[in-house]
Amino acid sequence: MKRSKTMELGVGLFMLAGILGLLILGLRVSGLTFTAADDSFRLEANFANIGGLKPRARVTMSGVTVGRVSAIELDTEWYDARVLLELDAELEDRLPRDTTAAILTSGLLGEQYVGLTVGGDPEMLGDGDTIRDTQSALVLEELIQQFVSNMVND
Amino acid sequence: MIGRVMRLGQRGCDVLEALGRAGLFLVQSSVGIPSREGCYLWLRQMHFVGVLSLAIVLVSGLFIGMVLALQGYTILVDFGAEQALGQMVALSLLRELSPVVAALLFAGRAGSALTAEIGLMKATEQLTSMEMIGVDPLRRVVAPRLWAGFVALPMLTVGFSVVGIYGGYLVGVEWLGVFEGSYWSSMQASVDFIADVGNGMVKSLVFALVVTWIAVFQGYDLVPTSEGISRATTRTVVYSSLAVLGLDFVLTALMFGGFS
Amino acid sequence: MTDSLFVEVENLHFSRGEKVIFDGVAMQIPRGRITAIMGPSGTGKTTLLKLIGGQLVPDAGRVLIAGQDVHALSRKALFTLRRRMGMLFQSGALFSDLSVFENVAFPLRVHTDLPQTMIRDLVLMKLQAVGLRGARELMPAELSGGMARRVALARAIALDPDLVLYDEPFVGQDPISKGVLVQLIKKLNEALGLTSIVVSHDIQETLSIADYVYVIADGQVMAHGTPENLDIDDDPRVTQFVHGEPDGPVPFHYQAPDYFRDILNLEGRP
Repeated sequence: MKRSKTMELGVGLFMLAGILGLLILGLRVSGLTFTAADDSFRLEANFANIGGLKPRARVTMSGVTVGRVSAIELDTEWYDARVLLELDAELEDRLPRDTTAAILTSGLLGEQYVGLTVGGDPEMLGDGDTIRDTQSALVLEELIQQFVSNMVND
Repeated sequence: MIGRVMRLGQRGCDVLEALGRAGLFLVQSSVGIPSREGCYLWLRQMHFVGVLSLAIVLVSGLFIGMVLALQGYTILVDFGAEQALGQMVALSLLRELSPVVAALLFAGRAGSALTAEIGLMKATEQLTSMEMIGVDPLRRVVAPRLWAGFVALPMLTVGFSVVGIYGGYLVGVEWLGVFEGSYWSSMQASVDFIADVGNGMVKSLVFALVVTWIAVFQGYDLVPTSEGISRATTRTVVYSSLAVLGLDFVLTALMFGGFS
Repeated sequence: MTDSLFVEVENLHFSRGEKVIFDGVAMQIPRGRITAIMGPSGTGKTTLLKLIGGQLVPDAGRVLIAGQDVHALSRKALFTLRRRMGMLFQSGALFSDLSVFENVAFPLRVHTDLPQTMIRDLVLMKLQAVGLRGARELMPAELSGGMARRVALARAIALDPDLVLYDEPFVGQDPISKGVLVQLIKKLNEALGLTSIVVSHDIQETLSIADYVYVIADGQVMAHGTPENLDIDDDPRVTQFVHGEPDGPVPFHYQAPDYFRDILNLEGRP
């Protein structure tokens, strides 16, 4: 069988382009990073209401992304939401114990994310610790209700 | 009346029989250890169904991405949410448009050609003479084409998505002035590699198998006349398009429909 | 006949849908001879070759090749047996994506592990035998019909088979090509000690090379014998066929109502 080098090269390039495309879809489009799983630092936070927070939402500190929400589950003991955060390993033992977590919204209709604000406690949070001080998501209906009852009371 | 019922039953039996033949055909041609020669034949078919389909698939992907961005922008800007353009373009491409449109283009470009080629080989007794030489045409002719289609279409789908997303970027960011950072970050925040890219690839693999299978089976099973070949080619395009769209609904319901 | 038998066809029945094609055909084909199977078009001569080659399965009866029942063999054993058979197809059936050289080399590459140089020698020998050594670079689309058939012949004998089946080798050829093919079939048969089965309706050419002739019509063997004594057989169907008479037991007219009544349209048909 006669072999054509240009054809073999073409198919090789085609396969390479396919794999490269998949890499682009992974890194550029879905924002995967090459950090190993044990390289991260886990925290838990309980919220009374998470609003529209989704797994994989950003965790930010002063606007800088420092991690992601890895899972959200219902805490059947307290009947609130337990949110598992996965943060950069370099923050381990560097966040004060009274750090607060708040669920914020980017823009008026944008996606929701978790914002961390540091406190002044000398003791630091370690892997698997829980953030005590949390602030739930703002729910539009509750806000309106509050506003209306305030008006009536006045 | 009874005659009509009988004809309907006969027709049902014919369809079942054809399905059985097609199933046996798939098993006989795809199972087995590939030889060195087989690898080379596969490579040749990859060139034919993959590399040569690249141009039409990429150009279509570019235009579809651009149209998506244009349409999405005019809707999103009414809600002041044009930052979410990247998310919209990427999700509609990855989950839905790339697998489906690439499969439809593939059926038209490569599927019909496969049917016609195998059909012509059958009409000119090449398949029979191969059998008489003691070579199984299922292994030699059909199997490399089946595997090439199965590998090539997912690759083409990836290319379609990438080009489409950059097409959306061209229109959204460069032309309509969406902020570049929010185009990519809204995309990265909402696209999940496993759930979106992965499920899109699963769809594409299913479509690849179905379209190539229909194409080679129609070629192998046709009536070896010029009319038979033209009818089989048409059937390939019609059946694969319907199969792709129907299966897309089923797969979407399973993946994103919330049954789990 | 003193020769041993190579192919035996016993009480073969075959039908396609409602239409009965063979209704108890029996033949004995001796080793090392050219046996011709003749008959009008549409009597299933090609079907008979496909039955002998194991591509079709009969409704009843057996085909024995070198003592093996073709239709009782496993798929693998059948493919092994087919290495000992070559078949020349009506259309040539060359692989259109391979050159002449590669077409002839195809069976060698598939069935043997010979080194490249030896394959080259063998292919050139076979092409020399059919006189087309100079055409080895051409693609099948560039060949004339007669050349394509000669290449197909070279491919059919590439593995030095014991049995070669010729399906209408002379059909649609000009007189020169016919003459060439007649010579080739005869020469190859003598030189290689082949057993040949020629299916044809070209009477002159076939009778000039055949050692023994079977005439089939209506699903049965109508006559058989050597070319010399076939002519005097008194079956009118054979006589009509051999002499090429337009009308006889095989009617000239397709079944139709009476001509006079039809012209006057007495039956009201369109």
